[in-house]
Amino acid sequence: MLVFSSTAQEFSLQSLIIDSSLRENANAIVRQNDLSIEVLKYDKILVKQRRVVTILNSSGNSKVNAYLHYDENVNIKKLEAIVYNAYGKEIKKIRKNKFSDANAVDGFSLYSDSRIKYLDYTPTNYPYTIEYIEEYETSFTVNLPSWYPLDGYYTSVENSTYTIINDSNVEISLKTENLENYNIDVLSEYSFQAKNLKAIKPEQYSPSFAKIVPSVKATLKEFSMKGVKGVNSNWQDFGKWMNDKLIAGTQELPQAVKDEIKALTANAETDIEKAKIVYNYMQDKTRYISIQVGIGGWKPMLASDVDRLGYGDCKGLTNYTMALLQEVGVPSYYTVVYGDSNLRNIDDSFSSLQGNHVILTVPNKSDYIFLECTSQTVPFGYTANFTDDRDVLLIKPEGGEIVRTKSYKTEENLLDTKATIKLDAEGSLEAQVVMNSYGTQYGSHEGVQNETEKNQQLYYKDYWNYINNLEINSLDFTNNKDSIVFIEEVELKAARYAVKTGDRLLLQPNMFNRIETAPKRYKDRNLPFEVERGFTDIDEYIIEIPETLEVEATMNPVSIKNKFGEYIASVSIENNKLLYHRKFVLNKGAYTKDEYKEFRSFWLSVVKQDKSKIVLKTKP
Amino acid sequence: MKKIVFIVALIVSQVAFAQDYKFGKVSKEELTEKANPTNPEANATVLYRSQKIYFDFQQGKGFMQKNEIHERIKIYNKDGFDQATKFVRLYVGSSNDSKEKLIGLKAVTYNLNGKKIEEDKLRSNGIFEEATNKYWETTKFTMPIVKEGSVIEYRYTIVSPFTGIDDIPFQQSIPIKKLDFELKTPEYYLYQTLLNPRASYIPKFTNTKATNSFTISSKERNISNRVVTASTTNKSTIDYVDNVVSASLDNIPALKGEEYVDNLGNYQSKLILELQSIQYPGEPIKNLATSWDKVTKTIYDNSDFGGELNKTGYFKKDIDALIASVSSPEEKTALIFDFVKAKVKWNDLHGYTTDLGVAKAYREGVGNIADINLMLVSMLRYAGIEANPILVSTKSNGIPLLPTRSGFNYVICAAELNGGVVYLDASEHYTTANILPSKTLNWLGRLIRENGTSEWVELIPKVSSREMVSISIKLNEDLSATGKVRNHLTNYQAARFRNKYHNFNKEEMMASLEKNRGALEVLEYDNKNVKDLSKPILQTYDFHLESALEEIGDKVYFSPMLFFASKENPFKEDTRNYPIDFVYPFSDKYIINMQLPEGYVVDTLPESSKIQFNGTEGEYTFLSNQKGNILQFTVSLDLNKSLVLASDYEQFKQFYQLKVEKELEKVVLKKG
Repeated sequence: MLVFSSTAQEFSLQSLIIDSSLRENANAIVRQNDLSIEVLKYDKILVKQRRVVTILNSSGNSKVNAYLHYDENVNIKKLEAIVYNAYGKEIKKIRKNKFSDANAVDGFSLYSDSRIKYLDYTPTNYPYTIEYIEEYETSFTVNLPSWYPLDGYYTSVENSTYTIINDSNVEISLKTENLENYNIDVLSEYSFQAKNLKAIKPEQYSPSFAKIVPSVKATLKEFSMKGVKGVNSNWQDFGKWMNDKLIAGTQELPQAVKDEIKALTANAETDIEKAKIVYNYMQDKTRYISIQVGIGGWKPMLASDVDRLGYGDCKGLTNYTMALLQEVGVPSYYTVVYGDSNLRNIDDSFSSLQGNHVILTVPNKSDYIFLECTSQTVPFGYTANFTDDRDVLLIKPEGGEIVRTKSYKTEENLLDTKATIKLDAEGSLEAQVVMNSYGTQYGSHEGVQNETEKNQQLYYKDYWNYINNLEINSLDFTNNKDSIVFIEEVELKAARYAVKTGDRLLLQPNMFNRIETAPKRYKDRNLPFEVERGFTDIDEYIIEIPETLEVEATMNPVSIKNKFGEYIASVSIENNKLLYHRKFVLNKGAYTKDEYKEFRSFWLSVVKQDKSKIVLKTKP
Repeated sequence: MKKIVFIVALIVSQVAFAQDYKFGKVSKEELTEKANPTNPEANATVLYRSQKIYFDFQQGKGFMQKNEIHERIKIYNKDGFDQATKFVRLYVGSSNDSKEKLIGLKAVTYNLNGKKIEEDKLRSNGIFEEATNKYWETTKFTMPIVKEGSVIEYRYTIVSPFTGIDDIPFQQSIPIKKLDFELKTPEYYLYQTLLNPRASYIPKFTNTKATNSFTISSKERNISNRVVTASTTNKSTIDYVDNVVSASLDNIPALKGEEYVDNLGNYQSKLILELQSIQYPGEPIKNLATSWDKVTKTIYDNSDFGGELNKTGYFKKDIDALIASVSSPEEKTALIFDFVKAKVKWNDLHGYTTDLGVAKAYREGVGNIADINLMLVSMLRYAGIEANPILVSTKSNGIPLLPTRSGFNYVICAAELNGGVVYLDASEHYTTANILPSKTLNWLGRLIRENGTSEWVELIPKVSSREMVSISIKLNEDLSATGKVRNHLTNYQAARFRNKYHNFNKEEMMASLEKNRGALEVLEYDNKNVKDLSKPILQTYDFHLESALEEIGDKVYFSPMLFFASKENPFKEDTRNYPIDFVYPFSDKYIINMQLPEGYVVDTLPESSKIQFNGTEGEYTFLSNQKGNILQFTVSLDLNKSLVLASDYEQFKQFYQLKVEKELEKVVLKKG
């Protein structure tokens, strides 16, 4: 059989005799993965892949990875899969026409013009092995297929190779990462081999998978994207190409809109004032709809279409805002970014098609303001939790430029909780709670205001899930979008909050902001860890106890400070009032795996201290 | 500033004005309305919906079903923008005669600009057609220029060659102000209708008759099978009567979800129709499904069901060999059940009729539910065991209300053994005798015997699934606790454990026990019988818990159940509209033995107590006892019915609340 080339015979398709070190923590084992790319011309590459994976159990099924995305640029020459049982005997062969075919809608997009062919196979026994072969030609050559020999957690690799054959006179750029930390052989300038890579287990707080595993990425210095030719030797010229071919000429607006926006901004004095007006105008006029069409999903809709239809995706809405700003004389730049709650940079040392999202950058003296254009409600310049603190690509008419977005600092990510509480002799309480949230914490708190009354009540019952019998009497929200503060005022009561124990009441003074769980324990941690965003919580509660009760015993004040953060908690007593004060600071930082134990023990002491109680007793 | 105070809602009196619901006649009042007057929280409201279903005669095709939808929706705020994107699913089948088509899509967005109403039409760039899979196509459209306050309006017609009519919804996730409905069916088709009796909103209908006619060009009138064959151009007109069901409804409340609901669709207000018989003039009546007996018979007579049950040739040799050495029906059943499970794997397709056919499924080792379970039935029958299929509607398919073939979507196997009837489903790995996938535990199933007779059987399990935990704990002077845990799980609790953890190694099991439990360290973990389905799961582990005891002043406090105590009541809603579905009855029991730390004596011990819900439907007991320096606690929760009715919700919530509060109580120790 043709498929059993010489490399194929180096290992056995039997899955029962695989090296035990490769089985450790693995749900699937990549037995052999050969990816080769032949560059024929700047606008034509031939990609061949042969992938043999042994699936050990049902959790490993997703690692078969027998699928191919395609559109009109892709000419599929070969697509097939062969299934082998545990003894290496062929049990099924699936040819190209038996692969399932579907629109590649990614779950949130309304529409996408790309399609996918995939293998839909029901395994009959474990382990089993699938040999998958694909071969296709494509004229989409901006990025060549990249190589991630380890392609996910719980997956080990016996052998994986990557080869680029250059039959053209187009220069190739390569970027390699983390090769030195793994068993990778560099066979030649454009040929790599990975052998016996152990499976990686996910660990809490570890950097994202892509940051820790080996990879090779490649681009062509001259490329084609949907028939449009380009040059990519650095961010400067690649950015210029993006500007000229994707953005330029898409920003024409109807005269009426030009007039309207000019009139609206006529009295604004500064560029920033104007930008705020334009941003509000865009937010009121449009909504976000994801539609992945136009040059591989990279060309924005025309600004005039966004204006006429009132919707667009991130590219369309950003481009529209940019067109409006241009009209009122405020410069701004279309900006490509990885939008993700994890921090992820556009790689400044390797110009290529990167990013999954687009925002708008407005220069502000020596600094920048970043605008998220897909939300109708987010405050001007607010980027926390999705596009903050990372390298992004500004596309300027003269070329691309990498800049860093705003980093939200530990002290500005503040949740300030103040409460006055009245306790009765049964341990029931009534309280007024006021929470002010800023920075990243603004983003995690403000969503509640848009919920229905019933869901708002359920939200607080869940937010304070440890308070039993919680009843919400009233809610009051203030969303200050100028200073970016969200204020929640909650009036509540809870029957029998303090636990009766014989003739005592046990009162846990930390009522409204408890840390109840700590990061996971690892016997041997393998990966480093990082806290991507710091935060600060401050709590001040005044607890009034009935005249009939007195304090029998109280908690001791605590103060902990280390490189991970800070924790202070204390109770002071004034007549029948208890004043509880707490501060918890978690710093942003990156740490080695050896520091994890200490990190966890810091959290554990916070959990413990948050549980501290006061004992109340009837006065004699 | 937004101020919301939770007091009794005011009843708002409405000023009535005559609204025109013709397409395009959107009023300024509708555009200026800021909130739904009877439901101010709604993000959007259907101002008007009209649905007309009727049959048009088309020469060469017969009666074509037309389903005309017209909707006008008000969008009050940004959270209502979702309403501006619509999906219409169309069955496109495999042949040209069995395709549904969407025609006449027209859609407009209306906005008020000063005093002027501006209209923006939906154009082709807002319409997307997607081939979802082999059988279904989805037409998606998204409206232009949608703002807070916009009114959108659209209409379209689905043309279908089928006589089957989809369920007609009267309720949506947003309120409906006005709804007109008309269903016209020709006298030749007799439909049985039923309103969902579980819905809390009940519409009223009017039944009338109307005359209708169609013209055909033919020499011979022959309209059997809905198809007319023409040979000359003679025209003739045929008069017939339409049965008309209509309704004009106002202020329909939104259908709102709740947690722990089996399937929200079971509570939606809707009209369900099933074609009962067809009678063309001069032809005998053709009876279709009219009773559950007949539905069952029709299914049984289907070659992909009954026919598949009669095939035995493909497995004969293998089964002969498999059961050669055993004689009891129980042993035979067990061997055959395990054989099918190992031999044929489920391809994720439901259905009570076979997909590939039993023989092919057997050969390829893959099949749908019917392939697998009908094969099981026929193998058991072959082995001399009385086995029968049971038709089932899964939870997501809802509870069948009318006798319809689509009321079922699944089939399992019942085997009659000496000890009684045993239900079997060989499509999943961890099912055993009477332990079925939880999706099938829905109301009743229909058992069909070999002679074609059928009857209802109860599917919801009656036997409790148990968890028993024995814990011995030593409390230490450094305020930590060390202990040993033995944990037994039976029936559905065991099945759930197997489904969730079968790919976990010991280390991952330990991590999952430690998860969200603070400083808890689990050591020496082991489990038994994850693969041996005939036995309960046994889990054993040791633990160490720092700061298990809290020292305040000169006393020490701790929870008798330590990290096993439930901390919160999961039932947080004040009231409920739908029942809580626990899937199966269960019984959890903890037996705790605790050795006090050296030098301490008991100051206070939580008292024993017993709480009941609805007589003995639910029972919670907490027993505490002291013997020298040993404390004993026995804590159990029994729920003997898997469904808690909405009317019992408040009582149930309180029952749970008392349990939670009991487990929060502390033991107090002092230095002795």
